[in-house]
Amino acid sequence: MNAIELSGVTWRYEHAKEPALVDVDLAIPEGEFVLVIGPNEAGKTTLVSAIKGLIPNSITGVLKGDVLVFGERVESIKPPVLAKQIGFVFADPESQFTALTVEEEIVFGLENVGWPRETIGKRVEWAARITGVEDLLDKPPYDISGGQKQRVAIASVIAMQPRILILDEPTAMIDPLGKDLVVRICAELKNDHDMTIVVVEHNIEAFAPLADKVVMVNEGRVERVAPPREIFRDLDYLLARDVHPPQVSQVFGRLRERGLYRGELPLSDEEGFASWRTLPEGAAR
Amino acid sequence: MARSEFAKKTLLGIVPADSPFYAFHPVTRLAFLFVLSVTPMFIDRPEINLAIIAMTFGLFWWGRVRMSDLKKYRLLLVTVALFMFIVAYLAPGDKAQLTPVRLVGLTLYWEPMRWAFVSYVRLMAMLFGAILYFSTNRERDVLVGLRTLRLPFQVSYVAGLSLRSAGMFMEDFATIREAEQARALDLDALSLREKVKLYTMYTVPLFAVALRRADEISAALYARGYTLSGRPGTGGKRTDYLRDKSVLRVRDWVVSFGLLGTFVVIAIVSRTTGVFSIQASPLIGFVEQLLGIG
Repeated sequence: MNAIELSGVTWRYEHAKEPALVDVDLAIPEGEFVLVIGPNEAGKTTLVSAIKGLIPNSITGVLKGDVLVFGERVESIKPPVLAKQIGFVFADPESQFTALTVEEEIVFGLENVGWPRETIGKRVEWAARITGVEDLLDKPPYDISGGQKQRVAIASVIAMQPRILILDEPTAMIDPLGKDLVVRICAELKNDHDMTIVVVEHNIEAFAPLADKVVMVNEGRVERVAPPREIFRDLDYLLARDVHPPQVSQVFGRLRERGLYRGELPLSDEEGFASWRTLPEGAAR
Repeated sequence: MARSEFAKKTLLGIVPADSPFYAFHPVTRLAFLFVLSVTPMFIDRPEINLAIIAMTFGLFWWGRVRMSDLKKYRLLLVTVALFMFIVAYLAPGDKAQLTPVRLVGLTLYWEPMRWAFVSYVRLMAMLFGAILYFSTNRERDVLVGLRTLRLPFQVSYVAGLSLRSAGMFMEDFATIREAEQARALDLDALSLREKVKLYTMYTVPLFAVALRRADEISAALYARGYTLSGRPGTGGKRTDYLRDKSVLRVRDWVVSFGLLGTFVVIAIVSRTTGVFSIQASPLIGFVEQLLGIG
């Protein structure tokens, strides 16, 4: 079953001349990890906002086409029901904090969807453990580091155990160590919790190995949808659109151009090490 | 020892990391606030209000509040005193009805000065009660206390959101100022007129940022399934996890009833007898004797 289905979706923000999304068709099956990539201003955030129902429920503009979540039109789903189905982590964690303590921040969504106290307690404990924020529960969300803020934002969303988790540039505002932690959390959610995960990210390097599918968005259109290996095979196409594939893929792409490598482009460092061993003697020079 | 080990920053001040106050339920601590800051309204006798201030300082000490953190209120105390006494001096009322007193070359009128003193001491007693509360309670305690008193979730949530917005506003303000200082703005070199102009100019970016923040918070509330009614998606009663986590114990009931009982007794005595009136004040009587009045 498709968790998400967009057909003929065109969206123009109020007062904008050009649409931000143009005739988008996209289907994401349940349980897939999808990486949405594209240059700045391509329409990536708009695309996930439409999936979450922020468009058109919270943002004004003109929408054409259908956005279906588990077969139901997203506009017709009530916010508490939709919150149970789709969790959304904003790029700026600060912008989603509405409570005065981390614990209250995590609890807020759970209370909105109507869980009983015992379940809330267990969910808070679970989400705090996975994201490593157990020691921050009584702290105010404005008084913690950027990486911690992002982990709190993720905790407050995954605590609701949504069937679909959307993360909009989750590593955009944090340090390298914080980025690694976010990637690790996503990997754990993918491997152990059977969630449909959609990540919008410029930091392709970290998320490409996790992705089942990559969606390339450019100028409001979904230009390509394919497994990562297939997408990153066409390096020139991506680089021409200011999208930077994983460095390891780029290195082996150069080697391939020079006829020194014939295999699939690696996506991760581990694959890179393995491919390195297949290179002919002296290729490294 | 690092500051963070024994003090925690809140939007409203600094609270100790550990305090005997934390053994009490937030609603009991609200009772402390109510009694300490409302009781002085029923008492005119300055020596009693001074005793309440002394008791409040005792509670600061007992609650492990760092006394050095209270220094920041000195300016407030002086400003309020200056304002009250200057008003009493410059606008004493119908002078024919008042008692003039010559003091250090100035002609003062005793009744308005006496009233300014009595009101000032009362105000200080109320103020220190409030400072004690915000020095021993984090934002969450305030909200849990209010919700325990069955304040509707929406009201307490909006109150919390407002507190948070105030913090964000201050952060944005600090960011804009730092950005200006980083571009060589020297506030000390500006005249008062230029400073006023500069602060007026701050309103434009701050207003724009506040609008953007409001938009973001609205989207965040929607994303987390919040509806205007505050009711959960199931349609039933909203679980209040944090409120339910705090349990009212016997000591909370005893202390709360003790405090409120004391308040009720003081209020009744104040309204039915003259025990707390200025006329019953030995301190005022002593000063009057000293000044040769009455």
